[in-house]
Amino acid sequence: MRKLRRQTRVSLSKYLYILPLIVLVLFVYVYPLIRTIIFSFYKIPFGQAVGEFIGFENYINIVNNFEFWISLRNNFVWAFANLVIQLTIATIIAAFLNAEFKGKNLALSAVLLPWIIPTVAVASVIRWVLLPHLGIVNVILQDLKVIGQPINFLSTENAMMTLISLSSWRFIPIGVLLVLAAIQTIPKEIYESTRVDGANSIQQFFFITYPMVNKMLWFTGFIIFVWNFNILDLIWLITQGGPGMVTQTLPIMVFRTAFRTMRLGESSAIAVIIAGILVCVGIIYFSVMKKGEKE
Amino acid sequence: MKGKSSKLGHIIRNIVVVIILLSATGLFVYIFVSAFKPIDEVMTRARFLPLNPTFDNFYRILFINTPSRNFLRFISNSLFISLFTALVTVIISALAGYGFSRHKYVGKNTVMKLLLFVYVFPTIILLVPMFRIFSDIGIIDNYVSLIIIYAALTAPFCTWILISFFDSVPPSIEEAAKIDGASSWVIFTRVLLPLTTPGIITVIAFSFITAWGESTFAGIFIRTSMKNTVTLGLVDFTADQYIEWGQLLAGSVFVIVPVLLLFLPVSGNFVKGFLSGAVKE
Repeated sequence: MRKLRRQTRVSLSKYLYILPLIVLVLFVYVYPLIRTIIFSFYKIPFGQAVGEFIGFENYINIVNNFEFWISLRNNFVWAFANLVIQLTIATIIAAFLNAEFKGKNLALSAVLLPWIIPTVAVASVIRWVLLPHLGIVNVILQDLKVIGQPINFLSTENAMMTLISLSSWRFIPIGVLLVLAAIQTIPKEIYESTRVDGANSIQQFFFITYPMVNKMLWFTGFIIFVWNFNILDLIWLITQGGPGMVTQTLPIMVFRTAFRTMRLGESSAIAVIIAGILVCVGIIYFSVMKKGEKE
Repeated sequence: MKGKSSKLGHIIRNIVVVIILLSATGLFVYIFVSAFKPIDEVMTRARFLPLNPTFDNFYRILFINTPSRNFLRFISNSLFISLFTALVTVIISALAGYGFSRHKYVGKNTVMKLLLFVYVFPTIILLVPMFRIFSDIGIIDNYVSLIIIYAALTAPFCTWILISFFDSVPPSIEEAAKIDGASSWVIFTRVLLPLTTPGIITVIAFSFITAWGESTFAGIFIRTSMKNTVTLGLVDFTADQYIEWGQLLAGSVFVIVPVLLLFLPVSGNFVKGFLSGAVKE
């Protein structure tokens, strides 16, 4: 009897190891998510403890707000452009870094730097680097005769592309890591035997590497899409969604609505819409993966 | 013939690797060298290297204060927050990592997979409700709020890193201790933790870096300018009417250098932990 009780105590006490993590995740992810969904049905004046239940009014206001549709479109343009650029370049870089060479570990660490170094450190000085007449980027491009007139990288026409380039630069490292991990699961013997049969590197890439890392590429693409879809700091710190609204994505709109115009209920509703979109993206991703497994 | 083509391939590969490295690091090198440029070089047509290098920018950002700006203080605020975040994170994720690696739980696989969903969680959703929740508890403008958030941002990932480290320790090592009657806690603290020191250091580095570089939550939760973090100090500079780029560059260097010092020694482990989470998917 006593032994039994001791055993249950031991078997319950093992839960203490994971308890702090579970509590933290529930408190900072699950509970706020529920609060956001509830907030989205309320009108909440800033600083007031309780709001007024207004049903779907926040959602109706959002759908009737052209700003939302612009942000939504920008958000998809932003996420897809980032996805295509990052996945392509990351795959190419991973293919090159796959070989054994001197200083490979150092190279890998260096490739990771754009990702690990805080966004703020770059975002705060990037406007100086990109200045139309004085900035180094324009100076280099002009000296190399790539451009005649200096470019205003943060103008209405160029701001989106500039931010996409910066975001790609920042997130390619993760893509490289994931693709590289996938490539390294391929047995080396396959390369050797096909090399003997006369296959060159390009053929090997398309007929061996690509099919074998296909699944991981999808996963990488999914991660890249979602991460970029959610980006707030890079855009906010450099353009705040401007000029006008050309770089305003949904996270920027959530932030602006909540902390600039102080409409917490509406902001929560947009956040819920973001979550809904991402859940859809997730469902599509997992169903494509499932289908792939069946075939 | 074949040797020649593979030699050419070798050269091409080296060139490409150099290009990759330059594009990954070039901007940081430029920020670093530019921080030594005197004001007139900062505000004229850019050259890569400073003509008359000076420590002026570093001196001014550190020692010339205004009522709302005290960069040394911001650095120490950030150090405090980041160290505590690292401490909290390492405790939480070491416990959970050990638990998941060595114990059986009801619904363990589901919970572990759900932890990975935190990777794709839109943090923007957290801003408004966490602001409200922390206001209700009364820890807005208090570092406790930031430490909780940062620990939550990093702990799931750090747990995955540590699971991979604990998993790589063969169970036979703790069998001996078990036969001697050691409890699970003793095995954890006396046997496994000492064997996974590199993992612990990696987790400390990662959580420190995350807290050190974060600016969005800090910008919302911190209300008093003297409580600013180092990143908020930088953001404040960019809001000025006349931006002092020289000082901003020096400030940026102060943000970057600690990250480099912490990251480079552990980057290998870091990659390992990240991938073990991702590949298991």
